[in-house]
Amino acid sequence: MSELLDPRAIRLAEKAADRDDAIRRCGQALVDIGATEPGYIDTMLAREQSISTYVGEGVAIPHGTLAGKDLVKRDALAVLRFPEGVDWGGETVTVCVAIAAQGDGHVDLLAALAEILLDEDQARELREATEPETVIRLLGTIQEETES
Amino acid sequence: MATINGKDIRKLVVACDAGMGSSVMLASTLRKQLGKTGVTVEHTPVNSIPADADVVVCHSGLAARARSVAPDKPIVPFQIFLGDPAVTKVVKAIQQGTDLNV
Repeated sequence: MSELLDPRAIRLAEKAADRDDAIRRCGQALVDIGATEPGYIDTMLAREQSISTYVGEGVAIPHGTLAGKDLVKRDALAVLRFPEGVDWGGETVTVCVAIAAQGDGHVDLLAALAEILLDEDQARELREATEPETVIRLLGTIQEETES
Repeated sequence: MATINGKDIRKLVVACDAGMGSSVMLASTLRKQLGKTGVTVEHTPVNSIPADADVVVCHSGLAARARSVAPDKPIVPFQIFLGDPAVTKVVKAIQQGTDLNV
C-alpha cells in the first residue's frame, strides 16, 4: 500500500490552468517519486487526447498509453486534488488518481476507487479531502473490505 | 448485429488501450457483480484480446480496433466507465441467462 501510494504523491491543494496542465502535474508527481521516466507524461497527454480518463463523480484517472508502459519504473499512484476544479472536456474534475503500472500491483487500489465512486458519500469525502491521511484511509479501508 | 445468450458467456474481457486504468476499474466492479455466476472477468490491452473470450467490453473509442483484432467476437462498446447502460445489459444477460444483442 505505502509503496503504491507514496504520501509525497498525494497533493491536495493543486491548481491547474487546464486539463493538460493538470495531467502534467499528475505526471510530474509520478516522476518525482521515481515511478516513471519524464517521457511518460507525454504518453499520458496522448492517452487523454484519444479517450478521456474521466470516470465520474469529479474524478479522472490519467495514465499513459501502451507504449508508455516501457517508461514505468515501478507501479505507483498519485492523487492530486484541484479544489477549484479543472474543465475536463465538459466535465469538472476535482480529483485525479494518476496511474503508472506495468503489472497488476495497483488493481486492488483501483477496485477500491471504483467502490468509492459508486458511493455518493465516500465520493464526496474524496473530493473534499484536505489531508493525505483521509485519502489513504478511504482507499485503504475499502481495500480490506473488498478482500474479505 | 449478432445475438449471444448470457448462459454461453464464460469469459468476459474488458479491453483498454494500455490495460492499466479504466479497464482495470471496470473489470473489478464486473468481477464483483458477476462473482456468483462463475464467469471469468479479465482486463487486457485491446491488442491482446484472448482467443477464449466470449464477449469483449470496451470503450466506444476503441471498438473499431477491438473489431479488427477480434473480428469473430461480440463487442460491447460503452461510453461511461461506471454505470453504462450497455454494460448493465451484459451483466443482466449473464445473471438471468437471457439473450444479448451486440
